[in-house]
Amino acid sequence: MKAEQAKTIKLPSTVLGFDVSADASHLYAACMDGGIYQIDAKTGEFESLFRHDSYASGVSVVPESSLIISSGYDGVLQWYDLATKKQIRKINAHQFWSWQSAVSSDGKFFASVTGQYLAGGLKYEPASETEPSVKVFDAQTGDTVHEFSHVPSVQAVAFSPDNQYVAAGNLMGETRVWELSTGKQLAACQTQSFTSWGIIKVHAYQGGVYSLVFSPDSESVIACGMGQMRDPNTGNGKQTWQRFAWRQKGAPKIAEIKSSEAGGGHPEALAFHPGKEFFVMSGRLAQGKWNTGFFDNKTGALIHSLDCKARITKVRFNSEGTQMFLAGGTGQPKAKDGKYDPFGRIFTYNIA
Amino acid sequence: MKEKHRSNRTAGECPTPEHTLHRRMFLKGLAGAGAISVGSFAGLFSTPAFAEQAKKEQKHCILLWLTGAPSQFETWDPKPGTLSGGPFKAMGTNVPGVQISSLMPKCASIMDKLAVVRSMSTKPSEHAQGINLLNRGAEPRNPFVRPVLGSVLAQQLGHLDSAIPNFILLDPCPEGNEFKGFKAGNLAGWLGAEYGPVRAGGSYGIPDIQRLADMTTTDQNDREALRQFMVKKYENDHKSAAASSQNAAFERVKGLMSCASLFDINKLSEADRAKYGPGTFGIHSLLARNLVENGAPFVMVANGMPWDCHILNHETHQMLVPELDRVIFHLINDLEERGLLEKTLVVAMGEFGRSPWMNASHGREHYPNAWSLAMSGCGIKRGVVVGKTDPEGYGPIEKPFNEKNLFATIFTALGIDPYAEYDLPNMPTFHRVEDNAPAIKEILA
Repeated sequence: MKAEQAKTIKLPSTVLGFDVSADASHLYAACMDGGIYQIDAKTGEFESLFRHDSYASGVSVVPESSLIISSGYDGVLQWYDLATKKQIRKINAHQFWSWQSAVSSDGKFFASVTGQYLAGGLKYEPASETEPSVKVFDAQTGDTVHEFSHVPSVQAVAFSPDNQYVAAGNLMGETRVWELSTGKQLAACQTQSFTSWGIIKVHAYQGGVYSLVFSPDSESVIACGMGQMRDPNTGNGKQTWQRFAWRQKGAPKIAEIKSSEAGGGHPEALAFHPGKEFFVMSGRLAQGKWNTGFFDNKTGALIHSLDCKARITKVRFNSEGTQMFLAGGTGQPKAKDGKYDPFGRIFTYNIA
Repeated sequence: MKEKHRSNRTAGECPTPEHTLHRRMFLKGLAGAGAISVGSFAGLFSTPAFAEQAKKEQKHCILLWLTGAPSQFETWDPKPGTLSGGPFKAMGTNVPGVQISSLMPKCASIMDKLAVVRSMSTKPSEHAQGINLLNRGAEPRNPFVRPVLGSVLAQQLGHLDSAIPNFILLDPCPEGNEFKGFKAGNLAGWLGAEYGPVRAGGSYGIPDIQRLADMTTTDQNDREALRQFMVKKYENDHKSAAASSQNAAFERVKGLMSCASLFDINKLSEADRAKYGPGTFGIHSLLARNLVENGAPFVMVANGMPWDCHILNHETHQMLVPELDRVIFHLINDLEERGLLEKTLVVAMGEFGRSPWMNASHGREHYPNAWSLAMSGCGIKRGVVVGKTDPEGYGPIEKPFNEKNLFATIFTALGIDPYAEYDLPNMPTFHRVEDNAPAIKEILA
């Protein structure tokens, strides 16, 4: 396979949430400056649609509609109609951040996850949640469909391709899976591989699951994050993904990245290619050769890689699978005359 | 008026070997020693009348040492609506016009009891240098080793008759990268080992300090007298600084033995633990309160180096700042309720601040140019904020202060002459605060 970089789009600040319109003509970015941007995919020209009162952390194009839904560190979800260019709904969903949000592929459900990590014990075990950590909404009406419990902070969420399940992963490396029709929790995939208890500097937990994706057949779920570190503040844990057979008893881990293929860094994004033969994990590189790895769906082997020299927070493909979009940012530059050079980035790759 | 302190050390002499003697080993080595169970200040003195008088006059200092350098944006100097401001909002306080981070609602409610300096501006941008500078109050001048704040206050505020250590470092995380190196270094400097810290907390707990059941008090005293005689003889015969340091350390251990219960987190009340805890920094801050209440002149509370957020700054501060908020709130209120705030200086600070810009790892870098600290209590004006930074927090635009200004402020607040000259034979002239740097008068009561 080949992945050739075709375009780099610059935005004012780091992209934390990202999606692509059905025809890939427009891109949508939720950014650190609180802005939700619409970008012309061909020209790279962008306009600010609306804002959040803190970092904007997610934006999703709702299939079969003209809606986008955004989420932010202000705990607010916003519905926006692209046809009328008007905000149609605003919900105070959480008391803390919406860490991440997602829409189901049938356009019925929208999920957002939250949770503040507060010390719950002498060794800084996370305290119990003070509000539901996972909320599922009707993507059309905004009505709350489910409120699920988890251990804060809950940092990643994904719907299954068959639109029957939602999964959410947390700081402690636990991914829970719920059935949308019943609200019943079906699985808890446990791993300690993503969570560090700082030995060197900070006697507290860091890391956890930063992105989730179900396999195309919805039978397994893949989680990614940084491998364990003695000093989490260095951010150089091994780039790690693990795959769990969540339907099986005990939700066992059935595959993971080969240690020899991983460098150090912080993967934050996962996505399956529409062709279903491989998936991509991307993030920030600390040490190693790539920040974006392409992995064979059957064997888990690294089949291709690249380094776009940026922190990547989201990966998306167009529906044909001929284009890949990596969204994120570089480091924030020092201000010049009170202004910052743009440090948000969207990289477009042609996939063949 | 000059106030002099005579050192028994000479110029160029190697630092005391005290730092090489691991106190835990000392404590474990003393497992057979006896203990007098004392849980109150009065019990630490042989004469109750003297104890009462000393207690009345005693001044204290608690240093909440925030190793690694907390972000001023997520604590005392928020910049809402700016790209450097981060995701947390600012909130109003009970001092009109003053806002702090929304991560600190409890401190916002007692802002009228705090003094905040928003324009600290120092030079070192690396931890080792910053930690030393903000603990010693001056740049190093090798080979002379300036004592840290705790040692100076131990000498100035401590009582030789007190069995409770004069300089206590509550240090539940024995690691801490550069801070680990600092802790292992010569903290007392030219003041000598007797003014060095006693470390406790976490794995430095003191579980082996009780006298063995099969040893009588007489036996223990006899053994201690013999040990003292032999070490003193060795010290005299060989002019050994090591022996002197060992004796000083044993004296501190004897003190510890008599007040061991004050270091035992298992003896803390559930109500107090609920207020300060559950994290170990909060619990050890509670110990600091109790130690001060029982006469300790100086207690430093640290916890590794948790604030060094080169990655995921906000994700880490979301947890650390609420804990700090809770600790400061309860500590100030508890000291006030006990009538101790007037004579106890509380300082919360790290070795510098963090950068206005975020790196690619979503972290903030070291930033000494403009950072914040908070103080309260003895000698400090309440409800004031001094200094101002520019809209993005790049630098002070009003009243920059450095480490010398800070130390002059601390000493003045505690009634100690900041400019006294050390009397150090065969050494250059050193002062508690060099260059006659002025105190931050805006926050002095």
